[in-house]
Amino acid sequence: MIRQTLLGLAAAIAPVIAFAHTDSEGTTPADGTTVSDVSEISMRFDDPMRIISVTLTSPDGDVEIERETGMEPAREFRATPLEELAPGSYRFDWRGMASDGHPMQGSFSFTVSE
Amino acid sequence: MTGLAPIDGLAVLAILAKAIGYGAALVAMGGVLFSTVFATRADAPALRTARQLAVGAALVGLAVLALRFGIRAARISGMGFEGAADPMMLGFVWDSPLGTAAIWRGAGDLAILAILVPRIGHWIALGGSVAVAISFTQVGHALGEPRAALAVLLVLHLLAAAFWVGALAPLRRTAFLPIGADLLHHFGKIAVFGVAVLVIAGTALAYLLSGSLAALFGTAYGLGLLLKVGVVSALLGLAALNKVRLVPALRAGKPGTADALRRSISLEMLAVALILLATAMITTVTTPPINL
Repeated sequence: MIRQTLLGLAAAIAPVIAFAHTDSEGTTPADGTTVSDVSEISMRFDDPMRIISVTLTSPDGDVEIERETGMEPAREFRATPLEELAPGSYRFDWRGMASDGHPMQGSFSFTVSE
Repeated sequence: MTGLAPIDGLAVLAILAKAIGYGAALVAMGGVLFSTVFATRADAPALRTARQLAVGAALVGLAVLALRFGIRAARISGMGFEGAADPMMLGFVWDSPLGTAAIWRGAGDLAILAILVPRIGHWIALGGSVAVAISFTQVGHALGEPRAALAVLLVLHLLAAAFWVGALAPLRRTAFLPIGADLLHHFGKIAVFGVAVLVIAGTALAYLLSGSLAALFGTAYGLGLLLKVGVVSALLGLAALNKVRLVPALRAGKPGTADALRRSISLEMLAVALILLATAMITTVTTPPINL
């Protein structure tokens, strides 16, 4: 019985070929910070990431931004707000695909001070 | 929960499609392996069942492959289901490792259909089974280092699992037949080696991908793996029961054994389905500790 259990445990620790894991290594503005102005929004990854969709939202709705980085895989993504961001809280959401093909998504938030 | 991706409707759909895809791949490969290994020992109906299952599973595999392309495109697009048919998104998916894997999987499934052609078709189907196994080495963590070792271990693991899974339905069918007891006994003897390959390759892969055992605890990946461990333990228990108790009883002609054996094999099938679902969940929404 013990042998069976051990065999079972060993077999079950089976290959888990999961998704990859191009973590966001840092963002500008940093997540959860309060800043006085935002001239650029950027994210850095430890492996090339194809960023496909991005949205910046404030309590008043979506905020227009211009992408500097296209849809090609890149380690750094950059975008700029089309207009100066009014004081308030903002949330940046992104979706994309890691270099191993896995769908990835993430978000970060920041506050623009009065 | 550490290492757990957001689970939305599309992620659930992706998990279900992936689990069905895993099942289809294992049954397709396994059907070919069964009709190869037991070509002379199994009766004609069992061999026909194995071939039909292989062909049916290969066709399901091809359909699921197309479906998964759509789901992947939708998931990366941020547009919801509309993204599934977006040419640009589909192009991104095609350019990704999933595209390479799809070529191997698609070619493998098509080659498996050749099992319907006598003699030469069987060898083509065997090649197809290997191609389907190789397709799994083209995506995800199999692309990490040491890549060659990961690929070899994964192919061995999948072929061993397929041999087992693909044999369930034909063996279940033969339990009532006079030839059944000997066939099941012979399967049990080979399966011991198959399980050994499964265990050794699986453990080695887990070691390479996890980094450490301690890292498994407290992560979504670890919990998913524990769930899988539980079901695999039950599956191995059933297999052991069949080999040690039921098959010898069947050979001895004990009444009612065939029914018990068929029930046990049906439970094995259920366990396999749960294992594939757990694996699809782990590989879709969790990150192995080594990558956290």
